[in-house]
Amino acid sequence: MRRPGAVRAWWRLFASETGLIFRRPRNLAMLAVLAFVPVLLGVALRLFGGPGEGEADGAGAIFTQIAGNGLFLTFAALALLVQLLLPVSVAVVAGDGIAGEAGGGTLRYLLTAPAGRTRLLTVKYAGAVVFSLAAVTLVALSALVVGLVLFPAGPITLLSGTTVPFAEGLLRIGVVVLYATAGMAALAAVSLALSTLTEAAVGAIAATVVLVIATQVVGAVPQLSGLQPYLLTHWWSGFDGVLRDPVATAEMGRGLLVFAAYTVIFGSVAWARFTSRDVTA
Amino acid sequence: MSEQEQRRTRRGRAVRWGVPIAAVAVVAGAVGAGPVIAAVQGAPALPERTAEQLLADAVRAGEAGPRPMSGTLMQTSSFGLPGLPQVTGATGSSPTALLAGSHELKVWYGGADKVRLALPGRMSETDLIVGGGQAWLWESDANKATRIKAGSEELAAHGAGHGRGKGTDHGAEHGPGKGTGHGPGAAGALPEGATPQQIAQELLKKADADTAVGVTSNEKVAGRDAYQLTLAPKDAASLVKEIRLALDGETLTPLRVQVYAEGSAEPAFEVGFTTVTFTPPAPENFTFTPPPGAKVEEKSFSELTSGHAARQDEGERMKDGAEVVGTGWTAVAVLPFSLRDLQEGRPEQAAGGEAAGDATAVADALLKSATPVSGTWGSGKVIRTKLVSALLTDDGRLLLGAVTPEKLVEAAGRK
Repeated sequence: MRRPGAVRAWWRLFASETGLIFRRPRNLAMLAVLAFVPVLLGVALRLFGGPGEGEADGAGAIFTQIAGNGLFLTFAALALLVQLLLPVSVAVVAGDGIAGEAGGGTLRYLLTAPAGRTRLLTVKYAGAVVFSLAAVTLVALSALVVGLVLFPAGPITLLSGTTVPFAEGLLRIGVVVLYATAGMAALAAVSLALSTLTEAAVGAIAATVVLVIATQVVGAVPQLSGLQPYLLTHWWSGFDGVLRDPVATAEMGRGLLVFAAYTVIFGSVAWARFTSRDVTA
Repeated sequence: MSEQEQRRTRRGRAVRWGVPIAAVAVVAGAVGAGPVIAAVQGAPALPERTAEQLLADAVRAGEAGPRPMSGTLMQTSSFGLPGLPQVTGATGSSPTALLAGSHELKVWYGGADKVRLALPGRMSETDLIVGGGQAWLWESDANKATRIKAGSEELAAHGAGHGRGKGTDHGAEHGPGKGTGHGPGAAGALPEGATPQQIAQELLKKADADTAVGVTSNEKVAGRDAYQLTLAPKDAASLVKEIRLALDGETLTPLRVQVYAEGSAEPAFEVGFTTVTFTPPAPENFTFTPPPGAKVEEKSFSELTSGHAARQDEGERMKDGAEVVGTGWTAVAVLPFSLRDLQEGRPEQAAGGEAAGDATAVADALLKSATPVSGTWGSGKVIRTKLVSALLTDDGRLLLGAVTPEKLVEAAGRK
């Protein structure tokens, strides 16, 4: 008797939450910036050409491929944005989740229903995940359009040197979008956990961003390379396996496991903290 | 709020915080449990074999040639080189990068004339594809395909020969010094020859009177039941504690080689499969058509490896002046060598550009960490790593060996 009602109530709350997220001017501004970066990247590469021979190394190597095929702009844009700009946007939304309501004095009213805390937390997390998916998809679509307008399209050359049809290239982009979203969803769990610890949304957001940057610094120190497999940031750009032939699933599988571990640990921390703390605001 | 209610709330809190603690425990367990689970699944049902039987069967299997297979090779080194400079960066395609860290190489093997090796990097890949009478080198970061003009047989033969040479390095000297010396040519980008097959063949020959040989039959490598052969030197002056060689229980293909240094629990050098399947790989792996828009070059095999050839010449020259003191595990190589040569850079190396720069940087870093020693024979500088010691004497000799520095000093006295 109570179940269907609870599910309906969850969906009602979820609908209102996503509505709020996507109506917020600052979130829309962030999405606009995210969509603009691939345009900037595409135009810059079109005007000035890619890195010359010998200049390209490491992650920069992918830029040389864009000139040959517009689809590569999508992979390049995602690989670039997934490092900082996407995490920052996700942190703003997820870090605002609980702390924002507490700071605004609205948390009390949201929690009037019994068993409301777990529901509110899952709704907040689901909202952040939907925002992550929207942000990653938007970057991919923007890059796709810019890539197709400015650069030749057609069969796509993989990193292994083999060529696959355009449609399969699109399919592989879809896989990358889902992988990057999973990575951002793991960060959203971290950010939400921080959000339950404070009543100042800015504090939770800043803490998440600082954490991301600190993790990347740790990941960049060669002497600490043994830690890399445990760092969340290390796996965000680990989707190059889809560009190989045959598709290298092992590394992406490991990445997804890391994302799942972070989501479970920080999700449960958020839950334990939020359901046991005193709400005064 | 009554006292009872407060107590209940407090207990509720403790229970709730139990959930994340359990989550952390589960994840930590999953990270740490891989080897444990493998151990519990445990005792693979392999028939017992003595070292002799195993060696004989393995040699027989080796003579029949390797079976078609595909897999992922992982190479891990921690030679304990003191303070290596930044050259061991993450890109991993520079040969000096092989001195530290982990490297992955994918292998597809369909027969002597059907081979594909792939060295994945971040957003890049280097491939060597041999098949259909053609051999191609594909470098995705340069968008460049190089057709290698030599016949594939010649290529295969050269590859095998090179591999065996490298195997000797690791078997006899485990020399990090050698690792730095790979040619600047593109072929040097692949850690060629480091397959367990080739390294193992050399090791089998080395099993000798000064070695304690043991066999276990309950190893698991890349999810397959395997025999493990352990070779431990009997001489206490050796820095090598033991060498472990895992052979697949069914095909007796070498699956993993580990070199353990004295006094360390982790292998100093390891190359082995992390995944392996003994089914013929898909034929698409052995065909290559340069993608549209790629730079296509054609080079003969000797052009491609010219730097390497020069190094080999140099190696020959050094060998002429070299002599070996002692035998077996504690053999010490004595080479004529002058510090000035190294610092000025040899002409061949100067031509080699970046790779040579890397080698010099490594050498500089090593020399900085050297400790001075002296004896009746004069004085010099000694560098010790986990597996190898090197002594550079002021009278222009370089002594190298997988032995303790004391042994080197002693060898230096025996002019």
